[in-house]
Amino acid sequence: MFKIETLMVLIPGLPLLSAIITAALGKWLLRSRSHWPAVLAVGGACLLSVLLLFQVRREAAALHEAGDAQAAAHAVGYEKTYTVWTWAVVSRALPARATFGQQASETSHSADPPGTTVPEDSSTSADARSLEIGITLRADPLTAVMLVTVTLISLLVVIYSIGYMHDDVGYWRFFTYVSLFVFSMTMLVSASNFALLYVFWEAVGLCSYLLIGFWFTRPAAAAAGMKAFLVNRVGDFGFALGLFLLWTTYGTLNFHDTAAAPGILGQTLLADPSQYAGGWVATAICLLLLLGACGKSAQFPLHVWLPDAMEGPTPVSALIHAATMVTAGVYMVTRCTPLYLVSADAQQVVLLVGMITALLAAAIALTQTDLKRVLAYSTISQLGYMFIGLGVGTLPGIVAGMFHLFTHAFFKALLFLGAGSVMHAMGGVIDMRRFGGLRRRMPVTHWTFLIGALALAAVAPFAGFWSKDAIVAAISQRVQDDHHGASVALYQWVFWGSLFTAGLTAFYTFRAFFLTFYGEEQIPEEAGHHAHESPPVMTWPLIVLAAASVFVGWCFQRGQRFDHFLMQTPSLAFSSAQATLPAGEHGGHGNVAVVSTLVALIGIGLAAYLYLGDRWEVAWIARRLRWLYTISYRRFFIDPIYMALFVWPLRGLAAFSYWLDRQCIDRLVDWVGRVPLAIGASVRALQSGLLPFYAMAMVFGLLVLIGILVR
Amino acid sequence: MDELALLHGYQTVGAMLVGIGIVGFLARRNMIVMFLSLEMMLQGISVTLVSWSRFHNDWGGQVLTVFIITVAACEAAIALALVLMLFRRAGGLDVLFWQQLRESNVEPFIEHELPEPPAEPADRWPHLPPAGIEPQTEEEWHRSHV
Repeated sequence: MFKIETLMVLIPGLPLLSAIITAALGKWLLRSRSHWPAVLAVGGACLLSVLLLFQVRREAAALHEAGDAQAAAHAVGYEKTYTVWTWAVVSRALPARATFGQQASETSHSADPPGTTVPEDSSTSADARSLEIGITLRADPLTAVMLVTVTLISLLVVIYSIGYMHDDVGYWRFFTYVSLFVFSMTMLVSASNFALLYVFWEAVGLCSYLLIGFWFTRPAAAAAGMKAFLVNRVGDFGFALGLFLLWTTYGTLNFHDTAAAPGILGQTLLADPSQYAGGWVATAICLLLLLGACGKSAQFPLHVWLPDAMEGPTPVSALIHAATMVTAGVYMVTRCTPLYLVSADAQQVVLLVGMITALLAAAIALTQTDLKRVLAYSTISQLGYMFIGLGVGTLPGIVAGMFHLFTHAFFKALLFLGAGSVMHAMGGVIDMRRFGGLRRRMPVTHWTFLIGALALAAVAPFAGFWSKDAIVAAISQRVQDDHHGASVALYQWVFWGSLFTAGLTAFYTFRAFFLTFYGEEQIPEEAGHHAHESPPVMTWPLIVLAAASVFVGWCFQRGQRFDHFLMQTPSLAFSSAQATLPAGEHGGHGNVAVVSTLVALIGIGLAAYLYLGDRWEVAWIARRLRWLYTISYRRFFIDPIYMALFVWPLRGLAAFSYWLDRQCIDRLVDWVGRVPLAIGASVRALQSGLLPFYAMAMVFGLLVLIGILVR
Repeated sequence: MDELALLHGYQTVGAMLVGIGIVGFLARRNMIVMFLSLEMMLQGISVTLVSWSRFHNDWGGQVLTVFIITVAACEAAIALALVLMLFRRAGGLDVLFWQQLRESNVEPFIEHELPEPPAEPADRWPHLPPAGIEPQTEEEWHRSHV
């Protein structure tokens, strides 16, 4: 058996190796064999991740049984860290501070923001301020779950891409980028340090940019990549500020404890949660981190990049923009649970952002005609659901959010790959108005898409049901617990809102499904002879994902395995230990399950009524509710609003700066340049070329010199 | 003999040599004569140096003079070669043939009142007028080019 540290290093290491190999050899040597390094490496990483999961589970269970008396007092949850090497050290233990140690550390304490109550003796305080960033990997249940999700989906998508991307000019480039992405993403979820997290947070953003703009000769793709990158800059700016604030507050960026200082999410602070900074500092940290998460996970104010990101190849949409990268925000907020638990305001902001996003994206998805865009908005909506789960503020809610992340990865990847299969067969056409009735031509895609749609619509035995139900149940529990609380109205509103969104989800998912696979058979001319089922290399990943979408929810929800496992993560174990948090009865939400299933069935039924066959009601509704339809179809006019609010003023500013530079600054510089010219012109006449004249000048100069010296 | 009086004498000779050299350099336009004036200045300096050296009983000035003589010899070789080349190009020894290195917008210096040059410049060699005799024919031909 491998040592756990070996696994932790190898899981990101293999994709990195593959990225290097394909980058170096792909163009000349591997060519159409470029997929082999990626498949082998990601497959290996997937296998090792599963091994890691089991090992973590075994060791966590062993820790749990080691004796509650000792373990509960000292260890909160299971974690293991391994520092590959120390990347950067900035020692702030200055000589002055060492000499006047006592005095200096006292002033440093008083300089801390109010609310900081990190008790350290004066000798460690100076050391704690020395920045030390290690390439530190960690293994705990949360990381293990994320690793398995990421590598498994990646493996299936990579295999699918062999079929989807064949004959593409950039075949080797694609697999280089995907390997690089898998490396970055596995590092992101393994990082045990906010700085490292930030580095790979940016690295996945870079991979996303490269892959959205993969067909960079198409202007739309290039623009979409740019948009994704720029919108993410806004979020990452907030994230960076959050990190600065964390640093000034806690004096470290590590998750785990080190000899120098207790980590932000380490055992020392978790064992005594009263040490967490409260007040405005906590709220500010949480909101800034949330801004970062909003950018990466496409939440409401910053969600505009994700639909455009569908310009990239479809496997990329499935892997990065549905299953893995966009869930980084959810992962990060879950990881920072102890910080969020301190600030109730921040939690409610998370809840609100999630709710608004879920509802808005679902409303937009109702009328979109582009199959991939429907799925993109449903991704945004489901990410909103995850944020609702995180914002509920109870442990079941947070775990449910993570569970939804886990199941969503499977069925959303499935749906995207199915859409990709359709797109592949239709010769690149993805507008649902131009094809239809494909169920006979593409039986495998049809059935697997149906399973994915059922899972997304949250129908009973499928994966989505269990996780979405858990989220709704967590809200309902919160409503009951907070019965006399001040913000019960908010929770109630979110509860009904999330149920309504579930109905919308079911409706638009099946609208897309029926429009694509049912009705009159209709094939665009671009399809040519391609209009048949995709090759086995593409259908097998679909079948595997479909099977996962059927079973994954039920298997992991049974006996609350997922919950128990995940709760051994340090961040979450701490929360369960906290007395102020209602533990919540998890099993007794039969009513909620019935209601949400009913809502989903209504949505499906409505979609079936309207879109199975030619109904006059569709046009009638669209005509009668003209303004609602337009708002939804035009995506709530958010893009034009952003254009008017940000893009145009900034363009104006740029034009003004250009004018200022050209007309004022350049002219000023020109004038400065003309001064020597003018001086030179005034004495130019002396340069006569006559040697006697020069000799005379020299003699006169000599005379003047002598005159000065003599006098 | 009085050392100081001796120094005075030598200094006077040196100063006169330099002064004559300067005047010669400024007043004449014949390149060879200008060059000779230059040499005269050098000799004046050398005399001064040697006399000071003797007066202070220090070898420095004499050593420097030896250097000056050496350098002057080299300079003479190069300068005469250059003058020869310039003469061949311009057909004359007047320094005012060579005023091309002026600013482009400065008018060239031309003495208009002099007669026109002959049609065909004969291939003559430059030569110094005999000592003590005023140059006559050659001078006119040279100046006609200015």
